[in-house]
Amino acid sequence: MGLFDTTQIGLERALSGSALRQQAISQNIANVNTPGYRRQDVDFASALHAAWDGGQSAVSSVNPTQQADMSSVMRADGSSVDIDQEASTQAENGLHYEAIESVMKTRISILKSAIGGS
Amino acid sequence: MGLFDAIGISGSGLTAERMRMDVTSENLANAETTKAANGQPYRRKEVVLQEAGGAGNDFASVLSSVQGGGSGSGAGVANGVKVSGIVEDSSPLKRIYDPGHPDADKNGYVTMPNVNTVTEMTDLISSSRAYEANVTAMQTAKTMFSKTLDLLR
Repeated sequence: MGLFDTTQIGLERALSGSALRQQAISQNIANVNTPGYRRQDVDFASALHAAWDGGQSAVSSVNPTQQADMSSVMRADGSSVDIDQEASTQAENGLHYEAIESVMKTRISILKSAIGGS
Repeated sequence: MGLFDAIGISGSGLTAERMRMDVTSENLANAETTKAANGQPYRRKEVVLQEAGGAGNDFASVLSSVQGGGSGSGAGVANGVKVSGIVEDSSPLKRIYDPGHPDADKNGYVTMPNVNTVTEMTDLISSSRAYEANVTAMQTAKTMFSKTLDLLR
């Protein structure tokens, strides 16, 4: 076993997925008034969940990508961005990121004390 | 890196919304202008927004495309919004009866700009709200980024 196990790599994947998701949300908010714009989202959670039991190589090969949401459009200008939905998704994603990040911080401090640092 | 891109994307949103506010202000300021620069009554202007797609050929996007999808940044991600043009509204100009006006025709009618103050005010509110939303998105990305830096402590 290396210094970093499956959980650590999984956390890292989850952090980058969440960061990419924040990018998609920013993109949606920036294009709120762009006619015909289709909102984007990033689904990494289900792929990561499915890969979890497959071990380290499966988890590290999870690669989140940005996809267009082709659901129906309610706005007259053809933009499918709902600003309230984006705001709540953003809040949720931010908390999710913080949660993963604090787990990671704890693991790193355990690792540090095992190495003999303080 | 997703979070730096997110800050840049929100920045492009801020630029676009500020441009909309500038144009709305110009429309409001010229709501009664019967002689614009071309000698004709002022026509209201509108900002056309477009999704700024694909990676550019600047250093950062070339580097990330060379690095490939392994970094988790994903391929072909878009990068914000851009102003693709400012167009004149071709809707008909208003005609009002005002024989005392220096620009009145021989029947006493003056051709006025096609600016509707109520439309401009709602546009102004819309762009101001969208600007705020972009600021919030940028703030969230900043917070996430500084939390990540905390991991190094």
